[in-house]
Amino acid sequence: MFERRLHFHIDWAMLIAVMALCFIGLANIYSATGGPTGIYVTQIYGIILGLVALAICLAIDYRTLADKSHFVYAGVVLLLVYVLFLGVVRGGSRRWIDLGPMNLQPSEFAKAALALVLAKFFADSRRSGISRGDMLIAGAVTVVPLVLIARQPDLGTAVTLIPVLFAGAFVAGMPMRIFGILALVGVLVAPVAWKFALKDYQKERISTFLDPSQDAKGAGYQQIQARITVGSGGPWGKGFQKGTQGQLRFLPVAHNDFIFSVQAEEHGFAGVLVALGLYLFVILRALEAAALAKDRLGSFLVLGVLASFTFQVVYNITMSAGLAPVKGLTLPLMSYGGSSMIATLAGFGLILNVRMRRFTN
Amino acid sequence: MSVVEDRRRVALRINVLQWGAVAVFATLAIAFWFLQVVQNAKYEEMAENNHQRTLAWRAPRGVLYDRDGTVLVENRNSFTISIVREHSKNLEHTIALLASVAHLDPQALQQIVDRHRSEPSYRPIVVVEDATLAQVAAIIARRLDTELPDVIVDEVPARKYPEQSMAAHLFGYVGEANDQQVAAGVPSGALVGQQGIEKAYNDLLMGQDGARVVVVNSVGRKISTLEEQPPTEGRRLKLTIDHDVQRAIEEGFDSIGFDGAAVVLDPSNGEVLGFTSRPAYDPNAFAAGIDRATWNALTTDEDLPLQNRALQGRFSPGSTFKMAVALAGLEEGVITPDFKVHCAGHANFYGHDFKCWRFSRGGHGTIDLRHAIEQSCDVYFYTVANMVGVDNINKWATLLGLGVKSNIDLPNEVIGLVPSTEWKRLHTKEKKWYAGETISVGIGQGAVSVTPISMAVYMATLANGGTRVTPHLIKAVDDGNGWKPVPTPEPQSKIDIKPDALQAIHDGMWMAVNAAGTGGSARITGKDVSGKTGTAQVISNAGRAAAGKHIEKLKDNGWFVFFAPRDNPEIAGVVFLEHGIHGGNAAMVTHHILDTFFAKKEGRPLPPPPTLKANTSESN
Repeated sequence: MFERRLHFHIDWAMLIAVMALCFIGLANIYSATGGPTGIYVTQIYGIILGLVALAICLAIDYRTLADKSHFVYAGVVLLLVYVLFLGVVRGGSRRWIDLGPMNLQPSEFAKAALALVLAKFFADSRRSGISRGDMLIAGAVTVVPLVLIARQPDLGTAVTLIPVLFAGAFVAGMPMRIFGILALVGVLVAPVAWKFALKDYQKERISTFLDPSQDAKGAGYQQIQARITVGSGGPWGKGFQKGTQGQLRFLPVAHNDFIFSVQAEEHGFAGVLVALGLYLFVILRALEAAALAKDRLGSFLVLGVLASFTFQVVYNITMSAGLAPVKGLTLPLMSYGGSSMIATLAGFGLILNVRMRRFTN
Repeated sequence: MSVVEDRRRVALRINVLQWGAVAVFATLAIAFWFLQVVQNAKYEEMAENNHQRTLAWRAPRGVLYDRDGTVLVENRNSFTISIVREHSKNLEHTIALLASVAHLDPQALQQIVDRHRSEPSYRPIVVVEDATLAQVAAIIARRLDTELPDVIVDEVPARKYPEQSMAAHLFGYVGEANDQQVAAGVPSGALVGQQGIEKAYNDLLMGQDGARVVVVNSVGRKISTLEEQPPTEGRRLKLTIDHDVQRAIEEGFDSIGFDGAAVVLDPSNGEVLGFTSRPAYDPNAFAAGIDRATWNALTTDEDLPLQNRALQGRFSPGSTFKMAVALAGLEEGVITPDFKVHCAGHANFYGHDFKCWRFSRGGHGTIDLRHAIEQSCDVYFYTVANMVGVDNINKWATLLGLGVKSNIDLPNEVIGLVPSTEWKRLHTKEKKWYAGETISVGIGQGAVSVTPISMAVYMATLANGGTRVTPHLIKAVDDGNGWKPVPTPEPQSKIDIKPDALQAIHDGMWMAVNAAGTGGSARITGKDVSGKTGTAQVISNAGRAAAGKHIEKLKDNGWFVFFAPRDNPEIAGVVFLEHGIHGGNAAMVTHHILDTFFAKKEGRPLPPPPTLKANTSESN
C-alpha cells in the first residue's frame, strides 16, 4: 500500500514546522509545570503516539479512508454516546474514556472523522455547486456529533465542528448569500440562546469578556491575567522559566488553555512572531496541498481538517492575549493533551496524505 | 459545469482562504505587538504588582542598659496577624474564619479593619499583635489550604521588660502611634513610646524600619526575596540607673507594702540611680498593643497605677520641709545655728495656738537648730518661719529645688508649690497673705506641696552644698560605633551655702538618723546616713475623726529624705509612702536601698530582700 517513491512527495517542510510547534509547546509545558513532571512526560507520549497516528493516516490512501469514512464517523459517534453515559467525569463534564494509563477524549477525533465524511459527501456530489438538500444532509451529519459533544458539556470543542462544515460548503460552491442568511439568523438567535441555551458559567464568561473589571477576582480574572501575562512579556520576553505570571500561577491552566500566553511571556513578541509564523506557514502549506490535490475529495478533506485546526488556533491565540472570552479550547500542537495531540497529528497525516498522492491514480 | 470550471472555482476559493489566513495572522501579530511592545510598560507594572510585595520590616527599638551594662529593656520576637485587603476575595468571610480559628471576636476584628478603611488596600492591617503560637499555627494551616490568602503572619520584634513592673513609670511603654503622632510624621501603625524614657527618647530608640520586596505566588504565598533593606536598630542607651539600687527600691516597697514613690540621685551630678512609682503596671502588657480590658482596668483603678507619682504626685512635705526653713533663716541672717527656742509643746502666734507634735509630753524644752532638726521640733520652726517670712522661705526652698520643676528628662512632670505673698495675690481669691499662714508653712503644711522628684533634688542640693543638679537618665548613647557619653546637663541653679549653715543642717540630719531622732531605722554603721522623716496629714484631725480613723485613704503620708555619707555625700534621695502612716516606715525602706548601694560599692554581697515590719501606730 505504501507505493515506492511516494515518500519523495511528503511535504517535509510542513512536517518540520508541525514538529517545531510541538517542540515549542513541549518547552512551554516544561516551563509552566516546573520541570519534567508527569504532565511533560505524558505530552511526550502524546507526540509519539500522534506521530504513529500520523504515519498510519499517511500510509493508507485517503481515497480508501474516504470510502470507509462512514464507519469511522459511526465509530466516533458511538464513542461519543458511550462517553455521555459512561465517560469519566472531571471538572463537571463527561469527556473522557478511561483507558488505564491514558484517558481518551473522543470529541478530539470527531473533527477528523467529520472532515473525512463531509469531504466524501461533498466530493461525491457531482452537481454544480451544492443544493439545499445537500446542505441539510451535511448539516445533519455535523449536528449529531456537535450536539453529543455539547451535551458533555464541552461547547468549545463542539463549536470547532462548525468550521469543518462551512469550509467544505464554501469551497464546494455554496452561494455566498447563504452565509449571509446564516449570519443574520445567528444575530437573531443569539439573544434567545443567551436566555435559554447558555449555562450560567457561559453567560458569565461572555459578560466578563465585555468588561473584565466587573469581576476582577472571579471570571474576569483569567482574562485580565492573560493580558498582563502577554503584555508584560515585552519584545524579548522574560526568559525560559522566568515568567512570573505563569511560574507563580497567576495565569490559570498555563500548560493547557494558556500555553501561548506562557510563550508570549517568556519569549516576548519575538517568540510570538516565531510561533505565529510557524502556524501561518503550516496553514498556507496545507491550503496549497488543498489546491494541488488530485481530486475534489482531497481538497475537501484537507480543508475540513484545516478548518477546525485554524479556527482553534486563531481562537485560542486571541483568547490567550485576553482578547476573546475564555473558553476551554486548547491550542492544537502546543497545548497539553494526549487526545488532542494524537487527533491533530492524525489530521496532518491526512493532509500530507493528500499532497503526497497528488500524482498517483 | 465542467470539471475544469469546478477546479478553477475551488482554486479561487482556496486563494481567498490563503489571503484570509494571512490577514488574520497579521491582525494577531499587530494585536500582540500592541500589547507587548506599545503597552509593555503598563502590563509590566501590573505583573510586578501581581507578584511583588513590599513588606515592612520593623526595626527593633534600642536596648536599654543600666550604668553597668545590665540589660533593663530589650526586644523579643512576636507574631502579628494582618489582613491585606488587596488579596481578599471575601473580606467578611476572612474575618469570620479568622475569628473562629484564632478565637477572636469578629466584631472587634471588623472594627480594626474599619478604622484603617481609608488606607491603601495593599497595606497590611494588623489585627492581632503578639499572637499566640496556637493562633499562628491555626492560621498557617488555613493559609496553606489557601482559605485565607489575604491573611499574613509576620514575625516582628516587640518590647520586652524582663522584670515586669520594675521601674515601669521610668521606662514607660510603647503603643501604636496616635493621630497626632501620625500627623507629626510617624508612619501609621508604628509603635512609638507613649510614656517614660520610651517617649522621651523615642527618636533615638525607634530606629529606622526596613523593607523586604518579596515574590509571592497567586495565592499570596511567599516564594523568594528579591530585595532586602534591613532595618536600622534603634540606638542603645546606657541609663544612669543602677540595677541593684533599683532592685533594692522595689524590694523595699514590696516588703513594706505601701504605695508611693522613690527617687535616688547621685548628688554630685544629678544622675538618677533609682526611680520608682507605686502601684506600677506591667509595661509588657503594652508591648504589643494593649487589649481593651487591661487598659480599662488600668485607667479605672482608683489607685491610679498609670500615674507617675514621682513626677506627678503632689504631696504635703511635712517635717522634711524644715531644712528649707532652717536654710532660709540661716542664709537671711535671721538665726544662727546656735539660735535657741523654748518649746513648751505649743506656742501662740497671731492669736492662734499652734501645737508641737510633742505636745502631750510637754514639748522639747530649750533647743538649738541641730536638735530641732534631729527631734523635728515644730515650735522651733514655727518661730523661725515667723521670723524669716514666707517670701524668704519661698526663695530658699526654690533654690533648693522645691516648688519648681526638676527638668528631669521624662515627660509630664508637674510643678509643686511653695507659697509666697505674690503667689497668693496672683492665684487665689483671697489675695492677701496672712502672717498666720506662714506658721504652718514652717512645718511643711498649709499650701506647701511637693513632688517626690523635687524632694530628691532638694536633698541633692543640700548634700552638695547648693548646686541644684538636673536629674537625668542617660549616661551614654551607642551611635553604632560604641558608647558615646552624654554630657551632664547644666545645673538648674547654683548657690554657695554658708559652710556653718550647711554644717548645722547636715549635723541635724545626721543626728535624726544616728542620735535621738525619728530616722533611726535608716542608720548604717560607719556610713553617716543623714536624713529626715516627715509625716504629713492628708486631712485635718477633725476631718479624720469624723470619717473614721482607719480609712486607708485618709492615713498620713510618710516621707524620708536622705543623703549619705554626711561628709562628701555619694547618694541622696527620697522615699515617699502614700498613706504609709509614718516617716519611719520610709526610713526602713531607705535603709535597704543605702545598704545595697554601699555593699555594692564596697564589693560586699548585696543584702537579701528585707522583711520590713511597718509601724502602723498612728502617732508621731
